[in-house]
Amino acid sequence: MDVLQVTGLTKKFGSFTAVDTISFSLKEGEILGLLGRNGAGKTTTIQMLLGVLTPNSGSIHYFGKDLQKHRETVLEKVNFSSTYTNLPWDLTVSENLTYISYLYSIQNRKERVGKIAHIFRLEDVLNKQVRDLSAGQITRVNLAKALLNYPKVLLLDEPTASLDPDVAKYIREFLLDQRKQFNVSIILTSHNMAEVEDVCDRVVFIEGGKIVADDTPDQLAKTIKISHVELMVKDGLKRTIEYCSSKEISYRVKGRFIVVDIEEQIIPDFLRGLMDIGVYYDEIAIEKPTLEDYFLQVTHKS
Amino acid sequence: MSFHRVKAMFLHELHITKRSYEVFNDLLLYPLFNVIVFGFMTLYLAGTTGKIVADQVLAAMILWQMINITQYSIAVGCLWDVWSRNLTNLFITPITFAEYLFSYAITGSVKAIVVMILASILSFFVFNFNIFSVGVFQLFLVVANLIFFGFSFGVVMLGLIIRFGTKIQAFAWGLISVFQPLMAVIYPVSVLPEPFKSIAHLFPPTYAFEAMRKSLAGINIGMDFVYAFLLNFVFLFLSIAFFRAMFIKSKVTGQFARLEG
Repeated sequence: MDVLQVTGLTKKFGSFTAVDTISFSLKEGEILGLLGRNGAGKTTTIQMLLGVLTPNSGSIHYFGKDLQKHRETVLEKVNFSSTYTNLPWDLTVSENLTYISYLYSIQNRKERVGKIAHIFRLEDVLNKQVRDLSAGQITRVNLAKALLNYPKVLLLDEPTASLDPDVAKYIREFLLDQRKQFNVSIILTSHNMAEVEDVCDRVVFIEGGKIVADDTPDQLAKTIKISHVELMVKDGLKRTIEYCSSKEISYRVKGRFIVVDIEEQIIPDFLRGLMDIGVYYDEIAIEKPTLEDYFLQVTHKS
Repeated sequence: MSFHRVKAMFLHELHITKRSYEVFNDLLLYPLFNVIVFGFMTLYLAGTTGKIVADQVLAAMILWQMINITQYSIAVGCLWDVWSRNLTNLFITPITFAEYLFSYAITGSVKAIVVMILASILSFFVFNFNIFSVGVFQLFLVVANLIFFGFSFGVVMLGLIIRFGTKIQAFAWGLISVFQPLMAVIYPVSVLPEPFKSIAHLFPPTYAFEAMRKSLAGINIGMDFVYAFLLNFVFLFLSIAFFRAMFIKSKVTGQFARLEG
């Protein structure tokens, strides 16, 4: 069942088209990555999905209801967190979470605030003003705020930016757990491609305001033919370089290591060729194409 | 209208007000200092022009704070959310336009009345002026009209902030002062030359201040309160329509989303 259906969404600012007739859907319990470089139209799309920006045309339906016509009912079950918005900095964490719990008419507010503070490891800062928190703590408070109303759809803009790696990992696991336990559907934007591959079931890739790809992270990565082969050359680094140049293979040298970018199916031929010219290597690592390679290819093309 | 969401906004305002030195200065300190300055001036006036004129000037200064504080409270309340990049967080919740404005109407009125009580106590003990000499019922009607107008003016300011952002934020403090001379706050409307006299009669506070002066002088108030309320309803309707238009426009142009800074 689709919890979100976006159809023909367009946003223009004067003659500039920021989002160009995009359509996509989000299934119940699905985690969707919204990717694209800066200025591609991701933030504009999210702003329209939140109802803070009015589209020129197209429609947004949550749970089968039009966002414009059923704003109040829909927004009870939707929430958002971004590193680019904040909570009132003069209020303590506890005051912020409490007043927001009133905005969502949450029952058992005290209990809910306590529980969410525990989940996001905020118990020690509950009585601190937001202005006194570190960037990582603010991100956690924003995430706590976003989960406060038991959302069915969660929009997350760079949810783990500015977090320490262990906390970022904890948050990723938490999101996956929320999906598993409550079937929460999530749209997230991130510049961390490994994170997207880790948590997203599907990726919508936006470039120049248009959707250029809509597939699983694996399938998108598979469209890239080039793998990275890293060799620690014991003998014959110069010959390896000459061989790559003669075959017009792109490479990078890092000390005794050489990394070559090469199509997966010709790796055996390449290694055989090195053997023929007497190159010896101690270590070999083959890195298959990733979502990051896909991202780089799409963004470089344009 | 949801009681919970109005309460949420009330809590939000309460916490900001109690923690902010800026709000403390603007809402409490400056208005009370104004009353003190005018209080001493009226002590001098009482000895020259008489007690009634002196009382009228001091009452005007106390009551002027009703408009000033109500409109300031609404405009700066919104600015706090813009400055702390919280406006999106607020408007992605189910809070409605009506709840948002209603919350500010309540918090603005509460702040204005608290300041009026403090200024009145100060005037009573230091300047020998009892605000109730306006008449309890008359005072209630004057205060209601001034808060009513302050709210409408604040809503216009809110619309301008949402439409144009922080570049017009100075209006939140200063724009009301531009209208002060036109509303015959401290002096009777009769001293204004034309066309300012006619313009003054377009503003509800003009009638409220005239009624206050007449009451203190023991003159029949006549239709002043009727005109004040009628005009206030017109101003309220226009201000809400203006805010709504600005809000819609801001969401179309993207300014509303950009208010996050």
